[in-house]
Amino acid sequence: MKNITKILLFTFVAQFFFSCMDELDTINDISKSNFALINQDSIHANFPSLIKGKVGIVGYIFTNCPDICPLTTNNMRLIKEALENDKITNVEFVSISFDPEIDKPGILKNFSKLHNVQFSNWEFLTGEKETIKNLLKEVGVVAFVGDSVLIKDSSYTYLYVHTDRIQLIDQDGKIRKNYLGSQINIDEIVEDVKKLL
Amino acid sequence: MLISCNPSDNNMNEKDKIVITDAWMRAGLKDRNTAAFLKITNNSNSDDTLFSVSSNLAKETQIHETFTKENDIKGMRHIEKLIIPANSSVELKPGEFHVMLIGLNKDLTKGETGNLNLQFKNYGSISIKAEVK
Ligand SMILES: [Cu+2]
Repeated sequence: MKNITKILLFTFVAQFFFSCMDELDTINDISKSNFALINQDSIHANFPSLIKGKVGIVGYIFTNCPDICPLTTNNMRLIKEALENDKITNVEFVSISFDPEIDKPGILKNFSKLHNVQFSNWEFLTGEKETIKNLLKEVGVVAFVGDSVLIKDSSYTYLYVHTDRIQLIDQDGKIRKNYLGSQINIDEIVEDVKKLL
Repeated sequence: MLISCNPSDNNMNEKDKIVITDAWMRAGLKDRNTAAFLKITNNSNSDDTLFSVSSNLAKETQIHETFTKENDIKGMRHIEKLIIPANSSVELKPGEFHVMLIGLNKDLTKGETGNLNLQFKNYGSISIKAEVK
């Protein structure tokens, strides 16, 4: 009997600790920041205010990326489908390019179509080089040109070394959690979104 | 009289010494880049080396590897060669090795197929078809 009591007490204490660990701390409050960007249709959009009042799921990409960024974009699509299956709305998806010189609105639009993106609550954003640079600093994402490849028509393609990231931002503009964009666990972020609603 | 320790190597058809399976490409846009993935099986008793890939799908084709630094920072780099050890397989797969197609000559959309030509040091060259997924 005594043992059972001990086990029950242990289970209770363990659950208490785990539920505390489950709370999503604020990593950075970016609500006071305002970055003027444009979306895939060349419509002005301010980040992070466009997600204000909603839970934001934000991915960082460049369209010349053949591997990590399509995986990140595909994972965001899977998260969107999982949330829709659970009838969770009030979530905004944002993909931000860190290669604004190449990623003009038309290119972002083609890239997102290629990856079967439904635009209802998903924006692809780009902007002035300086604005993007400041934004990345604020959200803690690193992106710099690694290799450049000279191609036959004597133009260069630039390959970025970058943070592999999907970010969870709450309704008040606070960054609450960072995930590896290309390897994110879909169930984990869906559960985290539910915690914020 | 020659006695081979692995009779399969002698009896094997020359053309089966290198076998490519599961080849596919990620959809991509004209002038942009994409990647192709595949599995290389070396059925012979000696190592072989993949040293180049060519394709008419893109302006430039390279063998790349994705690398990680400081946990969550990722990049990729051109590698000169990829060794396929004797009697084993190497998989080029998302997040690891890939064939990098740089500057696509046209959009690659799901369902299409395209050709890749792989050049090995011992085996020579092998032409394969890859489907866009
Ligand atoms: Cu690459």
